[in-house]
This record gives sequence, C-alpha cells and structure tokens, in this order.
Amino acid sequence: MWTTAALLVAAAAARSSAQQHDTTMPAMPPGMPMPGMPASPTDTSPNGKAPAAPMQMPGMSSNAMAMPIPMPKGMVMMPGLVGLTPPGGTFLPGAGVTPASLPNVRPSEVVRLKDGDTLELSATLVRRTIAGRQYVTYAFNGQVPGPLLRVPQNATITVRFHNRIDLPSSIHWHGVRLDNRFDGVPGVTQQPVAPGDSFVYHVHFPDAGVYWYHPHVREDVEQALGLFGNMIVDAPDSAYYSPANSEQVLVFDDLLVNADTLIPYGKAGPDFALMGRVGNLLLVNGEPRYSLTAHRGDVIRFYLTNAASSRTYNVSFGGAPIKVLASDVSRFEHEERVPSVVLAPAERYIVEVRFDQPGHYALVNAVQAINHYRGEFDGEVDTLGMVTVDSTAAAPDYAASFGALRDNAAVTRDIDRYRPYFDKPPDKRLTLTMRGSGLPLATVQFMNVDTAYYAPVEWVDGMPDMNWLSTSDQVRWILRDDATGKENMDIDWHVKQGSVVKLELFNDPKSFHPMQHPIHLHGQRMLVVSRDGVRSKNLVWKDTVLIPVGSTVDVLIDASNPGTWMLHCHIAEHLGSGMMTALHVDPGPARSSR
Amino acid sequence: MIGPLRAAALAAALLTISGPDVGPYDIPLYATPSAPAAKGSARLVFAESPFGVAVTADGHARYDAQVTAAGLPAPSSLGAYHVYVAWAVSSDLAHWQRLGLVTNGTSTVGAVTMDKFLLVIAAERDSAAATHSGPSVLHGSAPSTFLQSFQAHTAFFHGVTD
Repeated sequence: MWTTAALLVAAAAARSSAQQHDTTMPAMPPGMPMPGMPASPTDTSPNGKAPAAPMQMPGMSSNAMAMPIPMPKGMVMMPGLVGLTPPGGTFLPGAGVTPASLPNVRPSEVVRLKDGDTLELSATLVRRTIAGRQYVTYAFNGQVPGPLLRVPQNATITVRFHNRIDLPSSIHWHGVRLDNRFDGVPGVTQQPVAPGDSFVYHVHFPDAGVYWYHPHVREDVEQALGLFGNMIVDAPDSAYYSPANSEQVLVFDDLLVNADTLIPYGKAGPDFALMGRVGNLLLVNGEPRYSLTAHRGDVIRFYLTNAASSRTYNVSFGGAPIKVLASDVSRFEHEERVPSVVLAPAERYIVEVRFDQPGHYALVNAVQAINHYRGEFDGEVDTLGMVTVDSTAAAPDYAASFGALRDNAAVTRDIDRYRPYFDKPPDKRLTLTMRGSGLPLATVQFMNVDTAYYAPVEWVDGMPDMNWLSTSDQVRWILRDDATGKENMDIDWHVKQGSVVKLELFNDPKSFHPMQHPIHLHGQRMLVVSRDGVRSKNLVWKDTVLIPVGSTVDVLIDASNPGTWMLHCHIAEHLGSGMMTALHVDPGPARSSR
Repeated sequence: MIGPLRAAALAAALLTISGPDVGPYDIPLYATPSAPAAKGSARLVFAESPFGVAVTADGHARYDAQVTAAGLPAPSSLGAYHVYVAWAVSSDLAHWQRLGLVTNGTSTVGAVTMDKFLLVIAAERDSAAATHSGPSVLHGSAPSTFLQSFQAHTAFFHGVTD
C-alpha cells in the first residue's frame, strides 16, 4: 500500500524531473479562484455560454499558473501536472491567417445527385462564430457540416476533392461499400492529398441509409474542426421507412475551447491520446443550439450521426417517444421503442419521434459521468437544442403508423443467409489494450491507484489534465491478434472474398487505461452476433460497433468487397496512436467454414 | 528530492499495482449464516438494447444479472418461504429493487438501473413479492461500489473543492 508520504515524494519527483514545463503560459487573468474556493462558474459544457476562463493553481507564479485546460466543475489540475504541456508542440489551423479575411461558415446545403453526376468538393479554412466567440476552422465547400449529399441507392457519383487547407487530407466515405481505390486511406488506398492538390473519387452507394464522409488524415484535427458531412442514400421503395411528416439530419460533435480560443492540437501527432479529445462545447450541425419547430402530432424522422472525436452520446427528445428504425448499413430486423439513443463515435441511427403535445421538447445528452476523485457517479445533462411544437394538428396524422412497430422481413431474409455461421468458433480474435511510456509520473500514479473500478463507458473526460498531456508518442493503443501476438498494422490478415468471418473483440479491462472503443471496419458490413455471450435478438448491419471495457463482442463480417480495408478505433486520438489494422479481402472463391 | 532515474523506478513499481482480481462485471456472492453452505456468483451483462450498451434516458446503465448459485437449501427450511428472489439494493439499504427469481443453477434477472448497488438473494413468501421480507442467503457488491473517494490521497488531490 502506498503511503501518503510515498505519494508526496513521487509527486515531488514528478515536478522535479518534469521535462515539459512551459514558461510561456499566459498570465493569470484577474479574479481567478484560489484553492479551496469553488472553481469559477465553471460550466465545462457551456453550450450557448462563454467558456470558462483559465484557472489558477496553488503555489505557482502567475506566469506558470494559468491552466489552459478547462477542468470539470469543482476540480483543479493535479499538482504533479501543473506547468506541463504536451511534448511535441501544438498548433492551430490557419496560423498567420487574418480571420477577417476568411469567409463566414455557412450551414449545410442539400445537394441532390443522380447516377453519373459530379460534385466539386473543397476543404477550406472558414471563420466560425460560436456562442459569441470567433474561431478559424475547416469546412467542406464553406459549410459545416459539409454539403448533405442525397443520392439514390445504387448510384455512382464522381467527387473531385480539392485540398485547400494547410494539412494533407483525403476523404473517407464512411460505411459505404465502395471500390477500394476510393476508400480515402492515405498509405493504403491512395497517397495523401497535399495542400493545393486534388483527387477524384468514384463513389458507389449499394446500401440505403445514412452515411458520412470525413478525412482519414489527422482526424483529431481535420474532422474535429468541421470536415464532415452526411450522405443519405434513398431506397427506391418510398415505404422503406414508416412515414414521417418531415426529416431532419443531426450531426453531433464537440469542440474543446478555453476562454478565448480552441485548445491547440498536437503538432507531431494527437494529444489527448488517453481518452481522445472530449469537447466542452457540444454542437449539433455545427451550432450550439439546435432549433426546430413542428406541429402537434408530427412524426419527424431524424438521421443521427456522431462525428465527435471521442464522446459517446445518449440523446433523447424531452420525453417524446422514440422509435429506432435503422443503423449504420441497414434497417433493424424489428423496429423498437427506445427511451434514448446511444451513439458512439461514427455510429449512425435513424429514428422517428412523435411530438404529440404542443410545447417545448429539449434535445438533451444525458449521461452518468464518473467523478474519479470523489468516487461518485454524477448525472450530466447537456441541452443540445429545442423542438418547439405548436398547436396546429399534424397533417397527415401518422399516429397509427408511428404506434406500430414494423418487422422488416427483407432484412431478416438477408441475415438468414448468415445465421448458420453464428455459432461457429471465432476465426480471428483481437484484444484491445494499450501501453504507455514517458507519461508524467503523476499520471502514472493516478492511473494505478484508480484501478478499483472501470466504467464500461466513459461518457465524459473526468481527467482532462492527464488526458491533455498524453500524446501519441507516449500512448500506444493496440489491437493485438491473439493467435500471433502481432499488433496493429503488423497483423497480416487475408480472407477470401465471399468469406463470412467471425471476429471476437475483447476489450482488456486490465490495461493501463481501459476505455471503450468504437471499432470501425471499412468497406464491409458486419453483424453483432453476441455481447458477453448473450445473443443479439434484433440484428442490423453495422460498420462501427462499440466495445465497452471488459466486454467481449462477436461480430460476423460479410467479407464481400475485395481490397485492403482498415479496421480501427474511431476515437480519433486512439487511431492516431496506432489502434488500427487492415483486413485484406482477396478476390477469389471463398471457403467459409460454419 | 529524488532524481529522474529514481522517479522512473517509482513509476515502474507503480505500474505493477493492480486492481481487484475480478472482472468489471463480476459479483462474488457470499453466504450468510442463514445458509452457510450456499455459494454463488453473478455477472452483469447489458440488458437487451438495439445499441448494445443499454442505458436509461438519464444515462444509468441497465444491466441484467446472471446469477449462478449452488447449495441453496429449500426455502421452506428457513421458514414460511417458497422462493428465492434477487434484489438490487442501494448502498444505504433504503431501496430494494426486485430483479427476479433465483434457483440453484444459473438464473438471469434484471434489469438493474442503480449505479452502485448490492445484490442480495433472499428467501421470500411468493414469487411476486414486491417488498423484501425474508432472510438473505447470498449477497455481494456490484463492481461499481469499488468506485470510492480519493480524498485521502492528498498528494494528488489537495486542490479538490466540493
């Protein structure tokens, strides 16, 4: 057992040996709180409010005591970490550019494309004003989210991508089972698109549903700063979903901001490598307050996408009933009533909501955060927007169809072809884990003390100081092939096209920092067959699956699309810290065993 | 003051510390004097949900408990009781949530929506018992009850305010 004295010695050692002290930190603004006082009116999720100002630390000179990382309410930075900054340096996009010279961002516009059409898509710098503060970020065609591409199922479009930002880039067409050459993964399917260069993508859409596009280069910066947009692929059947009075596309993301600015990004690689960057400014469609008006009784179909780097959401609509219809790559076998929608990074869900009474319905993200210091669960509710329902009756009134829960026989018939493989032993096994080296000693101490309980899902960043100071140089997130011991890109998995591959994913709770991982497979579709030995009862084709800490999840991959396809954690900073491998689907006759 | 090498050695030593030797979903169950031969364990699994991770609208996890028990005596041997019921109990013992019937073997009951809770198996008069009244035979603590205050660790947290 470590005594307080030992911990004090260790903390002192951390301070004395710290190689990362920043002596250039800004002076403390006047009026900052002192230790023992409540930490300023620190609302760390300041939707619509000014972000918290930097906070002062005990026993430090004013030049070194300002803290650039907003801390959760009632918490201050650990003494052993005060004055440190992430090694490797930081940057913000558009350095040297006068914000006033940039165009103001515009909201997403719908672009309807038919088979054979071509779209010009440019990544550029824009000026955004959020909650009264101005930021320089990225945008596709000047829009955040980028243009909403609406295409018919089985269409093929051409997208001429022009990189006009200050980093290499690319576009990945997330969830789309397209030609491997256009999957947008630098180093695997193409070279990165250098600033000023262009790349032509041919994108074929075989599956109806909601998809999204984003860069596959420094996602922790480019995607986080606005380079994302949706595609809605319309099925030819107008009754593919149950009827709705209107449709809304909601993209959730967040930004991490301090009093005046974005928190800078790691220059050499991602910072926030432990947990991923969890923002304190929660946005819907790029704005802090989503707003919608509806009529009494309206059924609204929402296409939901989580574009955040790390945050998992639990969203609901002010108690209005929710029916879930579809997820990443298909409809569910059976529509279900749900109290809320859990969205891990990169996941999509299509839901319908009926607002049966006039009034205001708050769109909220409600989670149980963990306060690691006090050892308690803390309920957190972020109001993301408001649906205002007037007294005019909906026309038509879809109450009856909303009240019915449809069985999608076509989905079940499709999945039936794969049921004979459900019980076969896993073909591949991956353990999800991590290694750290060179982390601040205080971080190591904390992480080793904080081992008594691992939350299956960390909904918020309860330790942003430690997280901020961890970089991809110090943290290696790992996918380990249990059969060979090989890790990440050293894994060399080949399967034949047409194979049905059972993959078991185990999220090791005994790693140095266990955390949930949304695992995304490019270019294929997969079924979650079971979780912790419990068979899934209502299946849906997925491209991203959340693996909670300590869980074992079996997925069945329909390896029908030839090429080299990435399999990775979609927490941008975990991906940037190595947590990726490739699945080679080789053309040729398949030999799947049952 | 100790130097960087000593600090690194300390860090390496700290890395060897590990948590309790049970999984994050496991609940060892312990017998009470009412049934000293009883043994058991439980494992929490997320309740069925289209999202895989099951939570309530306000974010509380929803777990089923897979209770495996052996050596449970006939309930009637403990008095006027006919069944065993699994209860989720708040840490202050004020709230008892009925989860379902338990027998020798494995029984799946739930769903629990408490953040921290005890799991208690008790003999009850009937299968529909809405309130707890009989003797407990097995009990254990959910893994989340290990989430405790760090306030004693002043080296780290003397700046924490409340």
